[in-house]
Parts: sequence; structure tokens; C-alpha cells
Amino acid sequence: MAIWLVLVRKEVVEALRSMKAVWLPLVFILLGAMQPITSYYMPEILKHAGNMPEGSIIQIPVPSAGEVLAQTLSQYGTLGLLIVALAFMGMISSEINSGTASFTLVKPVGRTSFFLSKWAAALLLVWLSFAAGFGASWYYTVLLIGAPDAGAVVQGFLLYGLWLSFVVTLTLLFSSLLRSPAGAAFASLGTAAVLAVASSLFPHAWQPGLLAGIAAEAVQAAANPKATAVVMITAAATALAAVLACLSMKRKALP
Amino acid sequence: MNQTANLDFSKLVMVLAPLFFIQFILLVIALVMLVRADATRGPKWMWALIIIFINIIGPVLFFVIGRRDRR
Repeated sequence: MAIWLVLVRKEVVEALRSMKAVWLPLVFILLGAMQPITSYYMPEILKHAGNMPEGSIIQIPVPSAGEVLAQTLSQYGTLGLLIVALAFMGMISSEINSGTASFTLVKPVGRTSFFLSKWAAALLLVWLSFAAGFGASWYYTVLLIGAPDAGAVVQGFLLYGLWLSFVVTLTLLFSSLLRSPAGAAFASLGTAAVLAVASSLFPHAWQPGLLAGIAAEAVQAAANPKATAVVMITAAATALAAVLACLSMKRKALP
Repeated sequence: MNQTANLDFSKLVMVLAPLFFIQFILLVIALVMLVRADATRGPKWMWALIIIFINIIGPVLFFVIGRRDRR
């Protein structure tokens, strides 16, 4: 446990030194804050940008606060996931390739705690960034559009955070399995995309891909009866991915 | 003309100022990291152009694939 904490601190220092702990929250804030602003100014943007015939009237209702936050979540579902996967794709494989991992593991450090420390640091960073970004989105929504129901927003935040945690864990799993960082990013994004598509094709199959949609509904204060079951399944799948990553680390021959 | 959001310029500036500030910080961090990096994937001047002219995505691209050295 003590060793694990030391390793987590090393990972946090590493994230600060490589500036990952700075740019990831900043990018998430930009992504989150853009959505309410573009929704609010959309009628103006269309009026100035489009070459509409003279006198045409465009009427786009400014969406409700809950809808804007749901749109923010879908923004995180595309660009956000891509950035997260790219940020963590090399967390394990590039350390193994460069020999840093062998250097750490020469010391009396278990491979399980080696992986768990990276996992904890990655989750910490992602939750922090997502909180900052979603907070920024919430702030601008209140400023420009109106106050959403706070309980619903927090619920949607927690649900979506779990989906992000699942994808981060997948990225780390593939990072421990595959040698190439790009392969890890591709595999985890592919899995997430397949699950997301499957959630719209087969809405009755319970799997983690449903969680993003459930979070978007929760933000708009629409409770989904499947929510509890899907949360349990996603948490179990995340834990399973972490266990698999630990096993793959244990079996790995280091250079 | 029915419009819910009237384009008040000073309000727009107030709304966007924090975002421009954050984007600027991102750009500066990326440039500082670029100057201090020992090796990058591709020439440094190319990365400088990418960082400066592609907003948000440019610095992110540099952070995730531009750097080669692990300290």
C-alpha cells in the first residue's frame, strides 16, 4: 500500500512534468464551454454566415439548459474520448518500450501495484478534467441560457464519468497488451465506438455503451429505469478490464 | 425579426474572453514545451506553425504525438 502510494505520487509528478495535468483540463474546459456558447449564438451565426434570400426568417428555439448539457456530453463522447485515448495510449506501452518500466520493476515493486498506480493516476486526471470541463459548461449554461436542475446535472456528471473511466481503463488495458501506442488508442476507441453504435442498434442489450445515452437523459432530468443495472455492468466491466491488464502485466517479459 | 439572442458586442467579448485566455495559455505551454524539447517527430518549425495556426487541436496534437523524448 505504501509502495503503491509512492508510485501514484510518481505518476502525478510525471503528469505535471509532462504538462498533461495542465493541458487535459484546459482542453476539456474549452470543449465544454463551447457548447452553450454556440447554442446561444446559433441564430446569429446562421444570420451572418448563410447566404439566405432577403427577408427569410430563421427560427431556431434556443434549447433548454438540460438539452445544452446533454449536447456537451455528446461533444465529450466524440472529441473528448479521442483526446482521452490519445493522452493515455502510451502510458504503459511506451514505458515498457523505453525501458523505464524495467527500471522501476527492478525495485521491489509488484507489477499489480505498478499497473494500479497508473490506473489511479489516469482516473484522477480524467475525473478532474471532466469536472472542470463540465463545470465550465454548467457555468456558461447558467449564464446564457438558464439554470438546469442541479441534482440532475450532478447525476449525469457521475454517470458520464463512469463511462469515461471505462474507456480510460480500456485504453490502459490495450496499452499493456499491445506494443504500439497508436494501436492501443485505436483499439480502445474502436471498442467504445462499437459499444456506442450497438447501444442504438440494440437498445435492449444491457452493456456499457448505453451509459452515455443514460447520462444525457439524466442531465435532462429523465430517469431511465435501466440506469442502475447498466451502472453495475459498467463498473464490473471496468474492474474486469483492470484485472485483465494486471494479468497481462504479470505475464509480460520486459526488455 | 424574432431573435432571442441579440448580438451585443461587448457581451460577446465578455463571454469569449476567458476562452481566448485559456486557448492562449495552451498555446504558450505548447510553444515552451516545443522550444525545450530535445527531439520532436518532424521539424520544430513545422510544429510551431501547427501549434500557432490550428487552435485547440494544434497544441493537443503536439502534446500527444509531437514529443519523442520521455524526459
